[in-house]
Amino acid sequence: MTARSQKPAPSSSPSVAARIRGTWSAGTRAFARGSRVPYIVLLLLLVAFPFIDGNQSHIGIAQDAGRWILLALGLNIVVGYAGLLDLGYAAFFAIGAYSYAMLASGQFNVHVPFWFLLLASAFIAALFGVILGAPTLRLRGDYLAIVTLGFGEIVPRVFRNSSKFTGGVNGIVGVDQPFIPKVFGFPGYHFLFNPVPYYYVILAVLVISILLIINLRNSRLGRAWMAIREDEVAAASTGINTVTTKLLAFALGASFSGFAGTYYSAYLFVVTPEAFSFQAVSIVVLIMIVLGGMGNITGVIVGALIIYALQSYVLVQLPGWLNSLQSSINLPFLQGVDLGSYAQDSKYLIFGIILVGIMLLRPQGLIPSAQRKVELELGTQDEAVADLRGSA
Amino acid sequence: MGTVLETRGVSKRFGGLLAVNEVDLRVEEGEIFAMIGPNGAGKTTMFNMIAGLYKPTSGQILFRGKSIYPIREFWRNYTPLLAGYYAVADRVRRGLGFGPMPLALRPHAVTTLGIARTFQNIRLFSFMSVLENVMVGEHCRMHAQVYDSLLRTPRAVSEERRVQERARDLLKFVGLERYSEEYARNLPYGHQRRLEIARALASGPRLLMLDEPAAGFNPQEKVELIQLIQQIRSQGVTIFLIEHDMKLVMEISQRIVVLDYGEKIAEGPPEQVRNDPRVVEAYLGKPA
Repeated sequence: MTARSQKPAPSSSPSVAARIRGTWSAGTRAFARGSRVPYIVLLLLLVAFPFIDGNQSHIGIAQDAGRWILLALGLNIVVGYAGLLDLGYAAFFAIGAYSYAMLASGQFNVHVPFWFLLLASAFIAALFGVILGAPTLRLRGDYLAIVTLGFGEIVPRVFRNSSKFTGGVNGIVGVDQPFIPKVFGFPGYHFLFNPVPYYYVILAVLVISILLIINLRNSRLGRAWMAIREDEVAAASTGINTVTTKLLAFALGASFSGFAGTYYSAYLFVVTPEAFSFQAVSIVVLIMIVLGGMGNITGVIVGALIIYALQSYVLVQLPGWLNSLQSSINLPFLQGVDLGSYAQDSKYLIFGIILVGIMLLRPQGLIPSAQRKVELELGTQDEAVADLRGSA
Repeated sequence: MGTVLETRGVSKRFGGLLAVNEVDLRVEEGEIFAMIGPNGAGKTTMFNMIAGLYKPTSGQILFRGKSIYPIREFWRNYTPLLAGYYAVADRVRRGLGFGPMPLALRPHAVTTLGIARTFQNIRLFSFMSVLENVMVGEHCRMHAQVYDSLLRTPRAVSEERRVQERARDLLKFVGLERYSEEYARNLPYGHQRRLEIARALASGPRLLMLDEPAAGFNPQEKVELIQLIQQIRSQGVTIFLIEHDMKLVMEISQRIVVLDYGEKIAEGPPEQVRNDPRVVEAYLGKPA
């Protein structure tokens, strides 16, 4: 519509077909541009969610899912945009969590306010992103993955073994809970163990993060990342400083997990080194973005939600479901067989099978970015695809 | 009319292979300068050294009188702080037995100085749009900082608009404006070569290095390419090209240098080079 309103109609009126074509293409363009209405409606629904659903455990689940989404969005910058396969993402999450736990607890009797540390730990994590990213700059693909994997293992171990500062295996218990101070006549509010305020914090952080990431994608920096992902040599020869650009990817990616870490330790009240292992965080977040669709924000969010639901709902409930199914059907040959405990034991087997299934059905991810989709459709003999596979 | 690019005794050794041996070149401002030679003569190695992708084993490369390699004087000329850092780091590295500090500018710094290049085997950003490819070319002329990118500041927005407009102009210049939203890899081969040239031009170079720009072209495309190169030159960009098509080279270049087995065997205007017995020998072999 805009295209036509700008240009005055020519004196000889266009054919009906042309007019329909014009309207149609204007419509698709508006769609592609993306109307903001559905997003605003979604946001309003999310804001209203705690009022609609009074069940606190549901809100607790929602805020936990939000934290995973935040982690996935951060890793998506490193892996999806810049094409740097990072298997040690848990390290930055741990750094974020521990920097809050150490600076706001009885550990050193330091109590820095949550709101300040929420921002500061993003900077701390970004700094460590640069420190850990720097040695990997010359590496690509598989080699990069191995080194980042190493970092991901080292960091939680350091936290576990330096018990003087971090409480060792037991972690730090009694992390400060956030509160809104008494200012301007506001009575002040302590979060305590109520999930609702945490839910609003993570929602706000997520909304801001998503807006920032959308900005990044269509910026000078975002283009440079994608150029490096596509062809590093050409990118360097085209005038992109590959060193700073890659370090910025590590730093910005890590900063989001810094947010998530601070939030996580504040919510849990406790941090322990076990929470940041490879299989508990790094690989799960990577699965989220690969399964959802690398490089696509919507895809990453959907992937995070699905994996989160699978891990912390479906697999947890499965033994119970099977047991009740068994007792309701009551097949003779299943008598005395505890299906539920089998399911409990083979939880990760089932998880793996579901993942394999999804990836076979949709190798490009559930909601792929446009380029990933084309890449996969064009086959694997292509050099560019081989490059990408090597690096992502 | 000054000298844009000069190499003095540049050599490159890969293990036991001496790919380029003591080559001296002078590319004058505003000319079309061609480098020819049989396969494996070291032409692309020469390009890669000038572009900062390889570090020469020895010799000097000067762009507009300032050194790209060795970089020592360059840093002294431009940033005292870096020169100081260089001196200290060099001492430390030598002391620890790591050898001297690497001396060459990195590729992006060479491009920022004003040398842009294309590749023999096309290296576009395949899954970025044609327009984005050209916009990446302008990266080193943009000023948006990280916070501009994150927050989409008015400065970044207006710069983005300006850069996009310039990219569209460049696409029009090479005749690809119709394809601006296509993926680069979906373009036909000839268009991809043109897009590479547009991307190189986007960095606003003084010297454009074209590595076999006519490879795989039919006669009609070659004529169009010659026109394009002439147009670029008429805008004040010096052209340095590698090409195997003798007819094209003889037609457009003012001066030609011939490499064979890494050595310069001839240099001069086309007629002179064509009749040089050493050149004939290099291409056709010794008379029996």
